This record gives sequence, structure tokens and C-alpha cells, in this order.
Amino acid sequence: MAVLDVRVAAVNVMLDMQSGGGSLTRLLPIAQQQVADADKALLQALCFGMARWSGRLSGLVDGLLKKPLKRKDTDIYILMQLGVFQLAYTRIAPHAAVDTTVAAVKHFKKPWAKGLVNAVLRNFQRRGDSLVELLDEPACYSHPPWLLSRFKKDWPDHWQDIIEHGNQQAPMTLRVNRRSVSTVDYLLQLNDCEFEANTVEGISSALTLKKPVPVQSLPNFDNGYISVQDAAAQIAAPLLGKGNGKRLLDACSAPGGKTAHALEHGEWRQVVALDHDADRLNRVKQTLQRLNFEDRCELHCTDAADTNSWWDGDAFDAILLDAPCSGTGVIRRHPDIKLLRREHDIEKLVGVQRILLNALWETLAPGGQLLYVTCSVLKDENEKQISWFLEQKDNAREIEINLPFGTSRSAGCIQILPGEHDMDGFFYALLAKT
Amino acid sequence: MHQSIKAPETVVSLLDILFYPDPLLRKIAAPVANVDGRVADLVDNMLDTMYHAPGIGLAATQINVHERIVVIDVSEESDSPITLINPEIKALDGEGEMQEGCLSIPGIFETIKRPSQVQVAAIDREGNPFELEADGLLAVCIQHELDHLDGKLFVDYLSPLKRNRIRKKMIKAAKERDEEEFDDDE
Repeated sequence: MAVLDVRVAAVNVMLDMQSGGGSLTRLLPIAQQQVADADKALLQALCFGMARWSGRLSGLVDGLLKKPLKRKDTDIYILMQLGVFQLAYTRIAPHAAVDTTVAAVKHFKKPWAKGLVNAVLRNFQRRGDSLVELLDEPACYSHPPWLLSRFKKDWPDHWQDIIEHGNQQAPMTLRVNRRSVSTVDYLLQLNDCEFEANTVEGISSALTLKKPVPVQSLPNFDNGYISVQDAAAQIAAPLLGKGNGKRLLDACSAPGGKTAHALEHGEWRQVVALDHDADRLNRVKQTLQRLNFEDRCELHCTDAADTNSWWDGDAFDAILLDAPCSGTGVIRRHPDIKLLRREHDIEKLVGVQRILLNALWETLAPGGQLLYVTCSVLKDENEKQISWFLEQKDNAREIEINLPFGTSRSAGCIQILPGEHDMDGFFYALLAKT
Repeated sequence: MHQSIKAPETVVSLLDILFYPDPLLRKIAAPVANVDGRVADLVDNMLDTMYHAPGIGLAATQINVHERIVVIDVSEESDSPITLINPEIKALDGEGEMQEGCLSIPGIFETIKRPSQVQVAAIDREGNPFELEADGLLAVCIQHELDHLDGKLFVDYLSPLKRNRIRKKMIKAAKERDEEEFDDDE
């Protein structure tokens, strides 16, 4: 029996991704079924690493090639990047990295490329360090040029921090379900299992693990004591308040982390959770099942902006709009964003966010509050979006967010940049309807 | 009789693997009568061939030896070989799906549904009988290899349409392989 070589599988994933097959989150689980059990973790590390450093890896390979490869030989080009990645960023022994990568050429049925791949990798071993110095800015920072200029324009004092943190690996952070256990007690349970973790200042439900571990090995995971969620995402539920018998709408709920947190945190009479993607809504359901909140939440698979299709006319006291966004605040968790996102997507997303804001505002009761959230750091999606909204609605005003963080803040908005307290980049704005 | 030259032990002996749709892959293998030095040598050569391919399992049928011998190693470090001589399935349980590939059908990977747990009795390389219970990848691999001994391939579990497409692909690949032997200067 044969299993697919892990390096060939990695190249296939990157090829599929770049030809419109979807994100790593979608493609990786499929590819992991094709390799040996022992290679599953390596496959993930190779794919994430290649996505994270893609800009730099292509810059280096370009520097090593005398003439560019043809478009139809993209597989060989990616294989070369994979080889350079292993040499530059992993502890795989250099000779093994070169040998296995050259051996993988066979799979692509391009025997002519064997010598070339070998030469490129050996040259990188000889003069890789001097090549790094010759890289242009986008290659050096491993971010696409358009995104780099956006960051520079929006964050003249912070763009380098944003990029540096975007290129790092994110920590694994837990959200403690304090209906089941206190954060301190759970920290003790973790220590009993010899897992080290730290509390996060200002976010009482969060524990950041020193080293990531498989969720199933965490004490009482199946009992719903904890969920995996970045600390910055754990701000949403406290901002929505204690519920007190009121009705909450979570308009774009998948995968359900913030929905569940709202239920853990508050005494909502009812929570309505929407998502337009049936598969992703199914994940919300699973999350709620594990945490035993199934009965308290109503799920609808629908486009939130099309209120005619789902809204019964009963206004909500609170709305969470975790809007579709560029994801530029979570590049450290989803490095494939740098390969998949295009500049013109931003304008489209800003349009979608406006449609959602306008539509959902109509379903909010006077005196109610809408929490607008993105995991973006681009101002067009964040503070400019809120200014635009406030300008055209007479019955909207900002509510001050009283939290001890946020790199940039105005009355009702906070922007957390990636890396702040080791968190993802998130934007929050709290709006009240008068 | 001419004298045979004995190769030093470190030399790896690689055997040629039959490729689908070679009809020889359909032959049913005969039980091994004696587990002797000849069989032990064959097992060693099969392991070398399997590791070199690289694969995680190889049946004697695939190297055109029609005896009931299978070698398997699903370990991370390729250091835990299992030899199954005259293997017999004692029990099957559960159901699972996995992407399977085969050294005789290179480059093709398809999802196959099989029992997820298997209990098998066999004789090892030294001639000792033993029993083995397996799940996960090992369980799939055991069933895949034992199928070979009965002339069965994983593509037989696919629809005729799909199998035919793979068959054509393999015939084309075989032609290309023949041509490459002249082109490839490596």
C-alpha cells in the first residue's frame, strides 16, 4: 500500500489553494487523509509555513533561478519553495530536506526538473544568507505589495509591528466557561496536567497556553469547561452585557465561539444565531451542543441582510455583528489570507458590511445596542465604516468602551493590533439606538 | 553448475513491482509450505523494495511471486516492520474510510470504505505463528495487502467507470515511463 508523500501532498495543497480550491482550513483536512498518520502534523506545518513565508520564499527562489519557470511548471516552483522553507525555517536536517524534495520531483512526472531543483536548493545552502539581503520589501516582509501599502497608509507608526506579529505563530488561548469552573480553578487543572498557561490582563475568561496542545488532551474539554478562542475575541460577550432576560441576535455566528461565550456570560432570554453557510452553521450547532446551550439558541441558515427571509418583526435588544472582513488582524492564524485576498476584495467587503449594518439596524429595538466587530486592521472596514454609519443615521450614537487596551481608540471604538497582549487584531464599536 | 557470487549483506536488493493493469496481479497466491532461509531472504528483499518505493505495505504478488507473504511498516521512523506469512483474517469490525494508494497503481489515491478493525493470524519471518489486532492505518493496510494475495486491488472497490479511467491513465503512464527511460539522464 502506498500513502502520498508528505511533500507532494503539501505542494498539491498549495497548488489547489492558488487555483481557487479554497483556504487552508478547507483543503488541509482533505489532504491529511491522504498521507500517513505520522505525517499529518508535518503536512500542516509545511503548508502553514509555506503560506506564512510565501512572499519571501518566492523572492528567494526567483533569486536562484536563472530564468523564470513556465506557468505550467508551478508545481516545480512550489516544490522549490518547499525545499527552501525546510532549509530556512525548520529543524529538518538539510541533507534530508534536499534529498526528499528532489525525490518528490518524480511524482510530478517532470524528470528534467530533478537537476534544477537540486541545484536551486544546494545554491540556497551556499548563498542563501546573501540573497535575503537582496529581497525587496514585500518579499522581505512576506506580505503582498497592496497589503503592505495599506498597512503603511493606515498605520504609519505601527505597520512594521503589524507585519512582524502577522508573521509569527499565534498562541493557543482558551476561554473558560465560568458557569462550569472559575478561571483560576481551571488554571490549576491545567497545571495538574503539566500544561503551563497565563491569564490575560483585562480579559477574565482567557488563559493563554505556553505551548499549543491537542484540544482533546485538555482537562474537561468534552464537558464544555473550555473552548479555544483568542483573547481578543473574548471581549465581545462582556461588551454585549449580562442579557437579563433580553433577546440577542448573532448575525454572522459561525463558527459559534462568540455565540457560546454570550450564553456563558449572560442571562439572555433567547439568542438567535444566523449564518448563510450551512456547513459552518453546523459547526455552531456542534459547539452549542458540547457546551449544552442547544435549547437556548435558535439557528437559521440565511443571509442576515435579507431580513424579510428570517426576521419575525420582534425587535432585538442587542445585536452582535461579527462582520465578514479581510481578516487582516488574524494573518498569524490564517497566513493563507496573504495569498488568497485581493485588493479589490476590500471594497466589496466594505459594501457587504454597510448592507449588513443598515439592514440589521432596522431589527434593533430603540434603546438597544449593536456591537460591530471585525478581525481586520484596515480603517476602511473599521473606524471609517463607523463614521460613515453615524453620519447617515440620526438615531445612532457611540457608547464608550471602557477597556484597558486598544492601540487606537475613539469614543466608541477600539482597535487592537495583532500582538497587543499577544492577541489577534480585532476592532470593536458599540452603537446605541435612540 | 556455476558458482553463485554472494552479495555483501548491506547491498539492497530491489525487486521490480508489477503495475496495474498487469494480469499477473490477478493471480491467487499459494500458501508457503516452509518458512526457511529462502523465504526470509525474500521477506528482506520485499522490505527493501517497500521502503525504497516508498510504501507502507507490499504483497509478494506485487513482485510477481505468488506466495502468501506480506510485509508492512506504518511506523513514523520506518523501523517497525511486520511480516505476515500465510495470513488469515480472524475477525473484522467497524467501518471506516481512508484514502488508499498502491505501489502497483502509482499516483492514484481514492477513498475506500472498509472495516476499521481487524484481527489476523499469521506466521512471522522466523516461522513463529502469532496473532495481531489492529485499527487505523494498520488495519486498512493489512486488508489492502491481503487483498493482493487473492488477486484483488483497491480499485476493485470503485465504480467500473472510475476503475476504467484509472486503467487508461495507467496504460498511458506506462508508455510515458518507457519513453522516459531514454530521455532521463539522471
